[in-house]
Amino acid sequence: MAGWLDGNFVSVIDGVAFGLLLFTIAVGLSLVFGMMDVLNLAHGTLYLVGAYVAYALSDGSLWGLLLALAAGALVGTMGGVALTFLTQPLARRGHLDQAVLTLGVTFIVADLLAAAFGGEVLPTDPPTFLRGTVDLLGHAYPVYRLMFIGVATGLATVVYLFFERSSLGALVRATVADRDMVRALGVDIRKVLYGVFAFGAALAAVGGVLGAPILGPGPGVDETVLVLSLVVVVVGGLGSVRGALAGALLIGQVQTLGVALLPEYAPFLLFGTMLAVLVVRPHGLVSPAVRT
Amino acid sequence: MARRSRPVALIAISTALLLATACGGASLGTGGDNKQSGPVKIGLLVPQSGIYKALGDDMKQGFELYVKQHGGKLGGREVEIVIADEGETADSGKAAAEKLVKQDHVLAVSGVVSSATINGVKDLFATSKVPLVGSNASPTTLTGTTYIWRTSYVNDEPGKALGKHVAEKAGGPVFLIAAGYQAGKDEVEGFKSTFLPAGGKIAGEEVYTPFPGTKNFQPYLAQIERSGAKAVFCFYAGGAAVDFVKQYRDFGLAGKIPLYAPGFLTEGGVLKGQGEAATGILTALNYSADLDNAANKHFAPAYTSAYGSAPSTYAMASWDAAQVLDKAIKAAGGTVTPESVNAAIAKVGDIDSPRGTWRFNSGGTPIQPWYLREVKQGTNTVSSELGRLGG
Repeated sequence: MAGWLDGNFVSVIDGVAFGLLLFTIAVGLSLVFGMMDVLNLAHGTLYLVGAYVAYALSDGSLWGLLLALAAGALVGTMGGVALTFLTQPLARRGHLDQAVLTLGVTFIVADLLAAAFGGEVLPTDPPTFLRGTVDLLGHAYPVYRLMFIGVATGLATVVYLFFERSSLGALVRATVADRDMVRALGVDIRKVLYGVFAFGAALAAVGGVLGAPILGPGPGVDETVLVLSLVVVVVGGLGSVRGALAGALLIGQVQTLGVALLPEYAPFLLFGTMLAVLVVRPHGLVSPAVRT
Repeated sequence: MARRSRPVALIAISTALLLATACGGASLGTGGDNKQSGPVKIGLLVPQSGIYKALGDDMKQGFELYVKQHGGKLGGREVEIVIADEGETADSGKAAAEKLVKQDHVLAVSGVVSSATINGVKDLFATSKVPLVGSNASPTTLTGTTYIWRTSYVNDEPGKALGKHVAEKAGGPVFLIAAGYQAGKDEVEGFKSTFLPAGGKIAGEEVYTPFPGTKNFQPYLAQIERSGAKAVFCFYAGGAAVDFVKQYRDFGLAGKIPLYAPGFLTEGGVLKGQGEAATGILTALNYSADLDNAANKHFAPAYTSAYGSAPSTYAMASWDAAQVLDKAIKAAGGTVTPESVNAAIAKVGDIDSPRGTWRFNSGGTPIQPWYLREVKQGTNTVSSELGRLGG
């Protein structure tokens, strides 16, 4: 048993790091779809934009990283507002129209990014003082990923407290439960929608800034991230912070510990897990927010 | 009201999307007639969009450089280069090839990045009898063709070139890991075909990582560490090559377990993406920009000053494709037709190339020298010759 733990310890830790990265990205997709009923297939693009921001602004210093985080959050917020504006007229037409529109946005933005940054994966190194490895039970583990676990845990806590414990979060949940009632109380529903969308989008872009040294910017990364986010949302359950966290941590472990233990089944593990979860719990690990 | 406007919106969106993609393609081609008295038309089938664009750019630049260095002429004839976008898939590549052959009536075609494309256009070139002087894609399954030539290599050859050397140097079992698609399997099989007979031992089982989609290589790196391997042979290209190399360093394996690979791991733009993480990686390839020979002195410095980066093997193979066409068009003499050029390519003989002298074998791929290269200070440098392959 000790030998087993020793051999897979690093994979377990890395599963947490990868899971938290997935949470940071996917929670926005989950909230916007689950609560605001907008299917945003441009979500992976928001991550990619954040990763390019990190590439453009990272200069190896702490200030470069902080500047990139601020710029990423700003760009993400603007992207979220723009996407709300674009998808709003299609709100009554169902998810297919939203999917076509947001997918179109991903193609256009991907081409623009390729034109601006070229067709290659770009080097994005962590700040100088976060490079290198530390010793975890005799195995080398990157310092940056350890730091990422800390920062992402903080982000997850803030997101959870905001949506589940704050009065603004209660307003958002009330909007999901009964729009007409909230509207009758004199609240502008559209502001809530814009707010949630912008928040989720900003988180995805911040995930891109922080994730760039792990999943670097390059063509195709947007699609990889989108697929992983959709899997997390489906596994975790729509529209809840806890669901996104549970789904992300599970998928993170599947992608590291699962692959380490069952390498020959690696191509099927991700979707096999999704299938298994859906068979047992069709709504995902955490039941979706109540809708009327 | 909402129901009635729905189709309109869908059409508007689709049209906008189609326009966005079509503009990129339309501006690249030039229509024209079939006169062969004026300039000769050569089609360049390379990705201008999508994930292979960087390779396509290298190939386009290599070809154009040769033509520019020879006064805009091939075989004494003015050249008009018609570029068609190969895109990402076999379908987009096939459509672009058909446009070059059937609409532009080109004399010959060069380029093709993807193995899927070259398999898809095999029949087109056989039936239209237009020669394709390919400068990259070359799957092991592509055999018995009369009109398809490749100035690159067969996919399993980089592995073959490296096998014996690693068996002698590793001093213990070697871990094999590759991207789980056809090219990855070709490379590993090629490696084993010379590694095992030379007494090499494999550490654990060979691993194929899901392709595309593997972004986090940590579990595989943990396996390598646990296997007790004395060296690693891997095959990755493009974005996966950057991720694998950086994580190999991040998880502390670089400098501890030597990393061997076919040259794609550190070739072209990916090397820049890897940065200092690539230092010390050993690769096998048919070219290195620092090779010391007359043809390379004519090629590498000119390429570097024209495009701002050292030439890759993709650019070199494309420069050579232009050279093959140059010689073949000249040899075809007054009656330059696709068929006469194809016949002339078969007899083109020795090519004085930046990689060293090579010539086509009976399968239409080069008999050429292979080199062991090491990454030092961000560039591939030749450390020794690994012998000739392709005969």
